[in-house]
Order: sequence, then C-alpha cells, then structure tokens
Amino acid sequence: MLSRSLLSRSLARNAKRASGTLSQARRTFVQPSAVDKANIVGTPASVDDSLFTPRQDMLGFKLEAVKSTEKNRPIYLDMQATTPMDPRVLAAMMPYFTDMYGNPHSRTHAYGWEAEQAVDDARAQVAKLIGADAKDIVFTSGATESNNMIVKGVARFHKEKKKHVITTQTEHKCVLDSCRKLSEEGFDITYLPVQSNGVIDLAELEAAIRPGETSLVSIMMVNNETGVIQPIEEIGAMLRKYRGVYFHTDAAQAVGKIPINVDEMNIDLLSISGHKVYGPKGVGAAYVRRRPRVRLEPILSGGGQERGLRSGTLPTPLIVGLGEACSIALREMDADHARVKALSDRLIKGVTARVEHVVRNGDVNGYPGCVNLSFSYVEGESLLMALKEIALSSGSACTSASLEPSYVLRALGAAEDMAHSSLRFGIGRFTTEAEIDFVIERIVGTVSKLRDMSPLWEMVQEGIDLSTINWSQH
Amino acid sequence: MASPTRAQVLSLYGNLLRASNSFYSYNFREYFVRNTRQRFRAHQSEADSARIKALYEDGLRELNVIRQAAAMNRLYAGPRLVVEKSGTPPSPYEGGKAGEGGGDAS
Repeated sequence: MLSRSLLSRSLARNAKRASGTLSQARRTFVQPSAVDKANIVGTPASVDDSLFTPRQDMLGFKLEAVKSTEKNRPIYLDMQATTPMDPRVLAAMMPYFTDMYGNPHSRTHAYGWEAEQAVDDARAQVAKLIGADAKDIVFTSGATESNNMIVKGVARFHKEKKKHVITTQTEHKCVLDSCRKLSEEGFDITYLPVQSNGVIDLAELEAAIRPGETSLVSIMMVNNETGVIQPIEEIGAMLRKYRGVYFHTDAAQAVGKIPINVDEMNIDLLSISGHKVYGPKGVGAAYVRRRPRVRLEPILSGGGQERGLRSGTLPTPLIVGLGEACSIALREMDADHARVKALSDRLIKGVTARVEHVVRNGDVNGYPGCVNLSFSYVEGESLLMALKEIALSSGSACTSASLEPSYVLRALGAAEDMAHSSLRFGIGRFTTEAEIDFVIERIVGTVSKLRDMSPLWEMVQEGIDLSTINWSQH
Repeated sequence: MASPTRAQVLSLYGNLLRASNSFYSYNFREYFVRNTRQRFRAHQSEADSARIKALYEDGLRELNVIRQAAAMNRLYAGPRLVVEKSGTPPSPYEGGKAGEGGGDAS
C-alpha cells in the first residue's frame, strides 16, 4: 500500500515536471513518453508475416533465409592484394588453433615447450627461404609493421649522428609514410626517381648517398603495382662500399616468388608478409642481420620477446602457417614461377593480339605474376565496373577506394590518362588456363564496347591526334 | 620399410588424385590434381630405390595433408566460380568416402 502511494506520487511529480519543461523549453531530441503510451509496435502491414512465423516442425523462431538466386563468384586475379591461403597451410595451422594452445614464451610447462618448438621450426623455415640464419628472423604482424619497425627503428637509433634516409618514389605506402613521419621528426629523406621502366638508376643512388650521414637505404624488391624487380644484388654490392649505410628491402611481393639470398645480395634488413606467400593474414617477419649487427630502436616495448625488437606474445598458429607457407614456396618456387610465366604470357599475348593501343607498364623483365596494362581511351574504373566477373584492381588495394591515378605509374612517367586507364592482373599459384582464357574474352569484349561509346576513340579512328586538341573551349 | 612395390606406388597415385579431386574450390582442385600428375610424371623413370622410398614416404605424408585440407575446404563451400561448368559439379563428398575406403599400401 505504502509503496503504491509512493509510486503514484513520484509518477505524478514526474509528469508535472515533464509538462512543465514541455511548456517552457523547445522540443529536445528525446521526448519522454507517458507510461501508458508504451506498447509493442507490431510489424508494418507491408511485411509478410509468414516470414516470421515458425513452421510446425520448428522448435522455435527461425528466420528463413531468402534463397539467393544462383550467383557465381568472380575470378580472382588480384594476387598482389592478397593470395588465397594454401589449404596445406591451414592443415598445418589447425593443431595450434585447437589442441596446442600454449604460449610459446612459457618456459615452465609442456604446453609452452611444444608451442616454442613450433615457432622455432617456423623460424627456420622462413630463414631457409631467404638464405638467412633462423636467429635473424623477427616475427611481426605483417610487412607494414616490419617496414615501419625497420625504417623508423634504424633511422631513430642513429639519429644522433646520421639523419639521412634514401628511398624511392615507387615504394609501398607504408615505407613512404614512415619516411614522411621521419621527415617530420627532422630527418632528411631522399626520394629517388625511377626510370621509365620503373627501375632505379644505380649511379643516381650512389650520388644520393652522403657518407657518414646516410643511415638507411630502403628499396623494394618487387613492386606491388608494376611487378618491376629492382637490381637488389647490384645495389647491395654497391652499398657494401659505404660503411654504416644499412640496406633494407621490402620483399613482401618477392618472397617465395623469386629466389632471395640475403648474404649474396648483401641485404641487412628485409620485410616479409604472410598473406602474399599463400600464408595467413596478420603475420609477417622481418630479417634483421646480427652479423655484422644492425641495431634499431624498437617501436613496441614490453616483455622483450623477439630479441627485444618486437615485444608481445607470438601468435603460434599464424607463425606455423607462415613457416609452412614459406617451406611450400621454397619447394615449389621453380614450378610456380614457370607456370605463372606461361599464364602471364598467355594473357599478354591474348589481349594484345586482339586489342589495339594496349601499353604494358613497367619493366618487361619484371615478375610475370604482376601484369599492369593500360588500355588507351578507356577509363580504368569504368572498365573495372564493367568487368563484374573478374576481381581486379587498378592499382594498390590501399588506394583502390580513391580515383586518384596511381603514384607508382606517375613516377614511371606515365601520362595522367594512361595512369587512369591501367589494370593490374595478378596471377598466382592457383590460377588456371581456363580463367586466363575467360579473362581475355571479357577484356576484349568490354574494352571494345567501352571504346565504341567513347567520343575520344571515334576521333582517334578518324585520325585526329588528341594531343593537338585545345580542350579549354568547352 | 623396403622399397615400395609398383602396386603400392600406383595406389598412392590413385589416392592422391582422388583426394585432390575432392577439393570443393575450383582453384585448389585444379592445382592439386595437376601438381600430383606432374610430380609423379617427373619421377616416372626413377631407378634409385632409396630415392623411390623417400619419395613414397613424402607422398604418404602429402596424402594425409591433402585429405585433411580437402575435408576442411568442403566444410566451407561457397558459390562456384564463373568459369566452372555449372552442369557437372563434382560431388562435394565423393573424395572423402573414396579416400577412406582406399587405404594406403603401406
């Protein structure tokens, strides 16, 4: 009785306050509704009730998924963005996702030991692929972290004496952005230009070195947009003459695809990505030479794992996956390369034989699994939209949301219109001939359809030189 | 274990092909079938018995891995690719059953 009267009094007071504020203030976003008005809102009449009502044989409520019409998946031809994980890699990872869940840093029990053993085995597998010593491998979360750790770490460690870093204009965004960050911190960065085939000029690199001042040269091995392979061995041999200049190469696109030997190539630091070698995403590695020792300032501080360079518990299953992917890559590199080369030749020949005005961007002797083609008088993005049945990209996945022309192609000296009309074909271990033939058919059909719609193409057919037209009068 | 007999090697080849064929994903299926064929062809005229034995043991390990991998692949079957002939999709379970029944000659 007492509680009831209390309740009614407080309710009345609330209502009074509510009506008072209503009359004084303007409408706020949330209007308190009176208690008696609150009720359950039924479904609108437009919704079919039978979708929600349970059938006789159901134990409870269950929404029946509307059966999608039979839809096929597009062909995957974007191997530079990521590669499918090899099913053998998944098979190797599964035990560590299920039963063997120990922390590899636990030294006091068998769960830790078995995980540590697995990590050590994987370390050896990764090291073997690049001709390194297992102790030189540091596991990270991916090539972006490796690049950040190395570029920033080496530069910052030597900042007292050396404040100069050399890189190229066609590097991946994570190297370029790390360098931008360093320049904000007062470092001097040289962005080397590349020649029209995408390869750097060795003489130009040598001229850019400032002995005693340059701490790091960072040049990627295989470009992610054009497949251009830089002369890493020559660069390494040249840099050996300069003491105290460390050589880093971003080999995310190169590991497992072309032979690498860090000793023969005189590489001091190297970045590896797991998901570009048919391994899992979220794991990568950095090679940091111990003899002669390369020192760098760690970004992550903590428990001192990975020689203190990268603290944090190692993800055992992912590392096992990376190790297995590397060991498969080493075993099948020759067969894979021969196959990718054959498919790439088939694609280039098939397209250029039937479509005119196709330009291949980048060095012809680059990695064959990355074919960058520009189709003149066709806009790359509209070509992508029209090619619904093929998963392609016009450039790096990081910039695929923007309509800006690729900075890599611009660095190669490509005209703006050619950089806008480029497509990148990524061919990998699991690509088949049937897919390539299908792609050729679609490309040929779509390009000619788009060109038929293009007034520019019409002018070109009439023999008008587009560069002579004064476009400003419109 | 002595050097494997011809029948054992052929049985391994058959089992590997069956297991490879049991992948649901088009790309994996094509790759493993091709890979198996290529590897057996490459060593077709192998004479060194120690080498044959080592290759056979590798093959047995590989068979286990491929069976596991294919089984997991079938669990998460998605839509088919545009290049696959929609008329005759391989039954998603044929390989698993055949593989279990086949057994190894080891």
